[in-house]
Amino acid sequence: MTKLSRKERMQKAEQMAGISFWVDLRKGRLTKYAIQKQVKRMIAMIFRYVILICLGFVVITPLWKLAKDAFTAPIVLGDKSSIWFPQKLSTVFVGIATSKQVLDYWPNVAYTLGITVVLTFLQVLSTGLASYSFARLKFKGSNILFVLVILTIVVPSDALMLAQYGAFRNFDVFGLIGLINGTGVGINMVGKPLAQFVLAGTGMGVKSGLYIYYMRQAIRGLPISVEEAAHVDGAGFLRTFFSIVVPSMSGTILTVSVLSFLWNYTDTYFTSLLNPNVRHLPYKYSNLQSNVRWAMDSALKKNAEWLTQVDPENPFAQTALISACALVIVLPLIIMYAFVQKRFVQGAARSGLGGD
Amino acid sequence: MGKEKKPAVKQPGGKKSSLSWYKRMDFSKKTALWGMIFLLPWLIGVIFFFLRPLVNTFWYSLCSMDMATGKLTGSFIGVDNYKWVLGVNPDFTKHLATVFLKMLQEVPFQIFIALFIAMLLNGEYRGRGFFRAIFVIPIILATGIATFDLAEVSMTEQATDSVVNMAWLQNLVVNSGLPEQLTSLLVEYVKNIFTVVTTCGVQVLLFLAGLQAISPSLYEVAKMEGCTQFETFCKITLPMVSPTILVCLVYSIAESFANVTVVQNDQTIKFAEYIHKITFNGQPAYYGYGAAMSFIFFATSLAAIGIICGIVSKGVFYYD
Repeated sequence: MTKLSRKERMQKAEQMAGISFWVDLRKGRLTKYAIQKQVKRMIAMIFRYVILICLGFVVITPLWKLAKDAFTAPIVLGDKSSIWFPQKLSTVFVGIATSKQVLDYWPNVAYTLGITVVLTFLQVLSTGLASYSFARLKFKGSNILFVLVILTIVVPSDALMLAQYGAFRNFDVFGLIGLINGTGVGINMVGKPLAQFVLAGTGMGVKSGLYIYYMRQAIRGLPISVEEAAHVDGAGFLRTFFSIVVPSMSGTILTVSVLSFLWNYTDTYFTSLLNPNVRHLPYKYSNLQSNVRWAMDSALKKNAEWLTQVDPENPFAQTALISACALVIVLPLIIMYAFVQKRFVQGAARSGLGGD
Repeated sequence: MGKEKKPAVKQPGGKKSSLSWYKRMDFSKKTALWGMIFLLPWLIGVIFFFLRPLVNTFWYSLCSMDMATGKLTGSFIGVDNYKWVLGVNPDFTKHLATVFLKMLQEVPFQIFIALFIAMLLNGEYRGRGFFRAIFVIPIILATGIATFDLAEVSMTEQATDSVVNMAWLQNLVVNSGLPEQLTSLLVEYVKNIFTVVTTCGVQVLLFLAGLQAISPSLYEVAKMEGCTQFETFCKITLPMVSPTILVCLVYSIAESFANVTVVQNDQTIKFAEYIHKITFNGQPAYYGYGAAMSFIFFATSLAAIGIICGIVSKGVFYYD
């Protein structure tokens, strides 16, 4: 049996029952009610598309401008004819952006994606465990601790910048590490990805508070009877969490993972504070903005073909290069999301299980 | 972190004596124990990387800081810093009130627009994958990568506002005879719609996930019973999505407090930046003063979230 989508099933059922508008139209037995309904449906559809296209235009304009600038040929840069669409396309700027001297794209994107995947995994794990504890495994004082979660959302991270840097510059747990290695000072974790991993793994990463709050809400929305049944059948707490709760909130976890991935990938705050590594693409990009001319110069010298086309003194060429860089950095995220968004529906279809 | 923990947790189960100790525990105590174990990674993080810095800042706010000997030292002066911030500084309380009012004005509109977009995106229609992918772009672009680009890169300086001419609409609303506060609010909302759409990406994503999680059978039942669309929205969609509304409220309020701008010396700057500027103006004596400002700011935003979410959470629907 092939699996049909919900819409296809509905269509099939409607056709079999002979209540489809088009079937009725063919057979000439349209009622006033059916026409009314069809007209309403059409209006709703038009309404939806008009609004979505208009808002989509607003949302997509910055990205379009980015892509437009990146793919404009050097000759027509700043030309009045190339405001919305470049008169002459070329991949010169994308080529310069991905070259070794500017972004060194391919090895660095692998590095950044690798770090981001680890960070996302750690963050989702730590916040997921914490949110289950807050939602279901209540103990004395857990409500007070939950106020702290909201406080972590409210307090902007740069208010704690210096102290956090200090904590990692001299990483120590109650002076134990200093005692063990005999120097009295902790380990210097700044400059290694480990510092970021520790933050993410302890639920203090980028916007962790939001994830905890969101997943707690989702868990509270699940029917508790399934978990009670699992306990009665002898499942431990870890097992209940990983084989009952996690699958039934897979949609929520997917959302959190997507957000966590996006924010960890584009995060430059924690990166510049704890792991200022030029291999991290967004960090590299934020540095590039101040010395784009120099980077472009060195890239052009390596490639004679570009040198004849592009003038590094031209401010238009500089902005075009910056937007090409931004585009190639953002691209993996958009590709990833395009694949993931299909699963949003599937994850949700399963969570319809609940309902006592 | 979780993997490391597992063996440590199972250890009591390994020995016979401690196993019986664990087995004899009643269920509520076990729940509490496991609640603490699940919370452990977060608790470590919160104590070391959040509370310690926060308590330090709080201590600064009660002190008069000095850097005379090259090292930052504080002498306790009690609540004097707070007195100066609230009583002497002419701008702070004014700005705080502005921030608070702007938040009250912005957040409901943001939530409304986000829910509206999410409901449009939800459902079965041609090209939904495309539209859903589009509405995530603001989240990516708002994270530093392209905040710069929006202003700098587009070589044609064409602000989105100028695409639509608002003057006639403004005239229409202003001349309609409604009270002026209401019309100005309305005009403000319409003017801000582009900003709101580009800043509510996260809320849209959360709402979309929330809407997807509603069981389709509920809608089928409503249809069978003859509910109109509006009734279905009020009786099914709104209650089922209400936990997400709470999350979005918390997020929006926090973001709004972080991003609302105030006018200081004819300059429009973020409120947090204003505090930052005063704190790090080169004189260590201001550290305590700035810390006090930060604390009042945190306390206000926390109170706002507490009050608003306290009220809203009365209407939130949970399965249990």
